[in-house]
Amino acid sequence: MIEALELFSNSLIASLLLSFAVALIGPLMLINRYNYLAASIAHGSYGGVGLAIYFGISILLGATLFALFLAFLLALITFKEKYPEILISLVWAVGMSIGIIFIDLAPGYKSDLLAYLFGDILLVPNLDLWFMVGVDLLLLAFVALYKNHLLALAYDREFATLRGLDVKFLHTLTLIMIALTVVMSIRSIGLILVIALFSIPPYIAEKFSRSYVGSMVLSGIITLIVMIAGLFISYTFNISASASIILFTAVLFLGVFKR
Amino acid sequence: MRLAISIKNLFFKYRNENVLEEINATICEGEYIALIGPNGGGKSTLLKLILGLLTPTQGEVLIFGKPPFKQRKLLGYMPQYVNFKLELPLLVKEVILQGRLERFKFRYTPNDFKALYEISQKLKIENLLDKKISTLSGGLRQRVLLARALIANPKILLLDEPTASVDMKAQREIYALLKTLPITKLVVSHDINLLLEGVDRVFYVNKRLVIHESLDIKISSPREGHFCQVELFEELKRSKNDRSS
Ligand SMILES: Nc1ncnc2c1ncn2[C@@H]1O[C@H](COP(=O)(O)OP(=O)(O)O)[C@@H](O)[C@H]1O
Ligand SMILES: [Mg+2]
Repeated sequence: MIEALELFSNSLIASLLLSFAVALIGPLMLINRYNYLAASIAHGSYGGVGLAIYFGISILLGATLFALFLAFLLALITFKEKYPEILISLVWAVGMSIGIIFIDLAPGYKSDLLAYLFGDILLVPNLDLWFMVGVDLLLLAFVALYKNHLLALAYDREFATLRGLDVKFLHTLTLIMIALTVVMSIRSIGLILVIALFSIPPYIAEKFSRSYVGSMVLSGIITLIVMIAGLFISYTFNISASASIILFTAVLFLGVFKR
Repeated sequence: MRLAISIKNLFFKYRNENVLEEINATICEGEYIALIGPNGGGKSTLLKLILGLLTPTQGEVLIFGKPPFKQRKLLGYMPQYVNFKLELPLLVKEVILQGRLERFKFRYTPNDFKALYEISQKLKIENLLDKKISTLSGGLRQRVLLARALIANPKILLLDEPTASVDMKAQREIYALLKTLPITKLVVSHDINLLLEGVDRVFYVNKRLVIHESLDIKISSPREGHFCQVELFEELKRSKNDRSS
């Protein structure tokens, strides 16, 4: 049991840091209906992983820069286009294709690529934990400063504009924060599954919360519960941790809403 | 008297077809204007152009001599539809306080809360401040958004069908309250009662604007709490008979 706990220590810290991030950004994604945009950033970021491997730079750095680029691109698309869905899908697919092609072209040994798509929370490096701490702090500052503005914007965009709030700036900044959160979860949950984790706990939490802050806190708690439950399921049956976490989340979702 | 709003040769289209054509109007400070017209006539669009939320295809709007986006702090607005985004877990007080937000103001001050209590007392919603906005009826939600429009003490108030879903008694209360506010007011309404509550002029909007100056309806015996088209016609008949006899 002691050994198991040692193995788990980084994954428990990662779970805690991720839950904190979900609490801060998940409800915001939900109330703004940003899930599709976030999914596009997450999948598209695979391009950054591919480029980083090809050019031999740090994958975390490559993915971060690429995800930030995608955040700006998507911000631009959502300002300009009346029906942005097509272009959002294009960013999603092109990003992934860039990733696949550059990894194909990269010389020499290729590390386990599935690890970036599906993550492996049992093997989160210390550097990534520090990156997660950094993103959590940025998210905290972002939400603490802009909470009232973000809520006003989500509730009534026209009225927020009328009060002089910088709608474009807030929208872009939110996408940047989503991009950083996506990158911080590459190692633990992976680019593909992360969206489920960022969507479902806030969705459940919203139904049971009286206030927005309440829904943030509850999102974090639910995320922590599903992650730790998923970890133990994964350990017990020796199956993939990310998939266990997501499946457990789905079961919880069905359990809560089956009536 | 100072000019509050001036609209010069304004045209507007969303896509191909003009929604508004050749609108010219000047509104003085303190005037109370009723905006009437058929559905789809362009009333809401005109309000949004005055607010600067939409930009004219041609012509211009000036608020105290400047473009609307420079005068946002002077404008209070209540949108036509109040049942949006109900899934958001927002409290009534949070919605009302949004009316005090500013670009570089991130926290609400004690003054904001003082204004919150004052305006919610005026609108008789002081007991609802800690309720979730989604649990309120349409009529109460309308009052909440009216409070949000008023909380920053605007110089010009633009209300888009403020009493569409409130009952008769609440309607009269809201109009009575509006009457007491000594600011410039533009109110979209189909409600005939509004015409009796101190309105200075009536703007009829149906793509083009027709201005009815100096409204002078005198009601000899309005029944308490009730006045509708039938009474209006009775009044007209009576005054016609008076004149002919
Ligand atoms: N966002 C929009 N995009 C395109 N057309 C619109 C939009 N909003 C309103 N319209 C059209 O403009 C016209 C005027 O609408 P509106 O100003 O809402 O009228 P009213 O408030 O008098 O009912 C209508 O024909 C309506 O269909
Ligand atoms: Mg309208």
